[in-house]
Amino acid sequence: MAVHGRTAMMRIFVTAVLVISGADGTAAPRLSLVRAPTRLAAQPAAPGHTREGAPAGPTMDLVGVIRSGGRPQADAVVWLDAPDAPPSAPRRAVLDQRNLTFEPHVLVVRVGTTVELPNNDRVFHNVFSFHDGKRFDLGLYPAGTSKRLVFDRPGLSRVFCNIHPGMAAYILAVDTPYFAVSDANGRFSIRAVPRGAYTYHAWRPGGRTITGSVAGDEAPFEVSLP
Amino acid sequence: MSAAHPSSARRVRCLAAAAAALALVPAAAAAQSISAEAAQTAGYSSDGSGAAATQIRLFGEAASGVRFHVEGAWAARSGGESDAFGSAYPYENKIDLIEAYGDRLFRPRGALLGVRAGRFRTPFGIYHASDYAYSGFLRAPLIRYDGYFALSNTFLENGVSVAAGVPRLYVETALGAPGDVGEAIRPSGLDRVVRLQASYRSLIVGVSHITTKPYQSPRFAHGDASFTGIDARWMQGGVELRGEWIAGQPFDGTRTTGGYLDLRVHVPALGPATAVLRAERLGYDAIPPFALYARRYTAGARIRILAPLAVSVNVLHQSGLPSQRAAAADVALTYVLRIDGRHLR
Repeated sequence: MAVHGRTAMMRIFVTAVLVISGADGTAAPRLSLVRAPTRLAAQPAAPGHTREGAPAGPTMDLVGVIRSGGRPQADAVVWLDAPDAPPSAPRRAVLDQRNLTFEPHVLVVRVGTTVELPNNDRVFHNVFSFHDGKRFDLGLYPAGTSKRLVFDRPGLSRVFCNIHPGMAAYILAVDTPYFAVSDANGRFSIRAVPRGAYTYHAWRPGGRTITGSVAGDEAPFEVSLP
Repeated sequence: MSAAHPSSARRVRCLAAAAAALALVPAAAAAQSISAEAAQTAGYSSDGSGAAATQIRLFGEAASGVRFHVEGAWAARSGGESDAFGSAYPYENKIDLIEAYGDRLFRPRGALLGVRAGRFRTPFGIYHASDYAYSGFLRAPLIRYDGYFALSNTFLENGVSVAAGVPRLYVETALGAPGDVGEAIRPSGLDRVVRLQASYRSLIVGVSHITTKPYQSPRFAHGDASFTGIDARWMQGGVELRGEWIAGQPFDGTRTTGGYLDLRVHVPALGPATAVLRAERLGYDAIPPFALYARRYTAGARIRILAPLAVSVNVLHQSGLPSQRAAAADVALTYVLRIDGRHLR
């Protein structure tokens, strides 16, 4: 009973936070994209990481700015090569269909992530992706229902709706836990990265992927896209 | 029965629609997300008609959770009598306010409750603009065209619509006054529309009923217009089958029956193309020479040249339409420009 009581209290608290955060009109209550990690089955720890998958040693937050043509670039993606990163627990992310728009416009997930694609409009949608990345056609599905896909390999999927030509989004599956999407000012932050030097990749919608290297003590981390 | 003078009734409807649009301005101004979309279409048909059209849409969501949608359209068609390009909008060479509504969707305990108020397409059967305009067909189904004593796809309601149920089974009801655009303009009155929709896996089935006033001249069109329809869609592996069958009376002493079946194929092997096929029929039972029995078969494709640019090609064979040729080919180019203002603060 006590456990149930705490769970109920937690639900009330989370609901209250969502309501409050959206109440002043400055921020919409948005669902968290990632389920809290569950405990991994006993397995050998990956180099530099604990058995639970967290970095074992000192970490850093890589904070930076992405520019394209000298101007801050929103919705750009930066990710770091991390071949030694351990597999993570099953994760979920959401690409919402709302107001005839995919939200977010750019979704980055780690390989193995299940992406939910709910239809939160009162019209039908027909989500598909035929080029690159994962290919799929989810068919028509009505308001209030959802479909899901597992992104099981790296790649970029350009996502459209076959009956709403203005709807477009990108799902980028990367084989690393260290990635970020830039905000409207081009800023991004990759948190809790084991200290060290990395090869990074960066991409923006409509552009090509670039590759570079970054040292852990480099600040600020500036990425210039063509 | 007293019917308002058509022009004054239309003015009242336009004012009501403008008021509905204005009522949405505060929601748009306080929006946390807003998108603007402009769609331009140019087309030509071998039956001698050319067409140009522009639709402007503004839609988004206010901080209160109210979504808004405003759409205006201008379209003009040259040449002789034809129903080419009439899939979703009237071609009268004037600007029409098509839709202007506020919408709120609630999800209490997994249920679905949607409330819509303003000016919106009559929620009968397959009725969303996108189902007509961007599906690859350049003509409205005969049973949904406003010139054939049927249920026009440009019927609009100024009123309230409520959808309630669960996502897999819900009923949508609408009460409103006609706000039609195009040639089929109904007189003032109260429309009652109800639609039940159920879905199971890839199958979506709906049953609709409407009671309204006839759009034909009151000199000979007496009584109510009343239609019942069943619609279905099924989609698997990029192959979609959809259709409607509608029967009812446009006014006392007449009966219209008809339907269409569409096949749409959208698979990677076709690249950017969606192949479409349609078979349809329409029967209007009335005293000769007004009776109409028509059939039409359409094949075509919609090809995305670029993400916002698509070309649609239809070839068709038809019979029973006195003023139209037996065969025709239609081609149209559509460009959609969209600007998203996400997360406005």
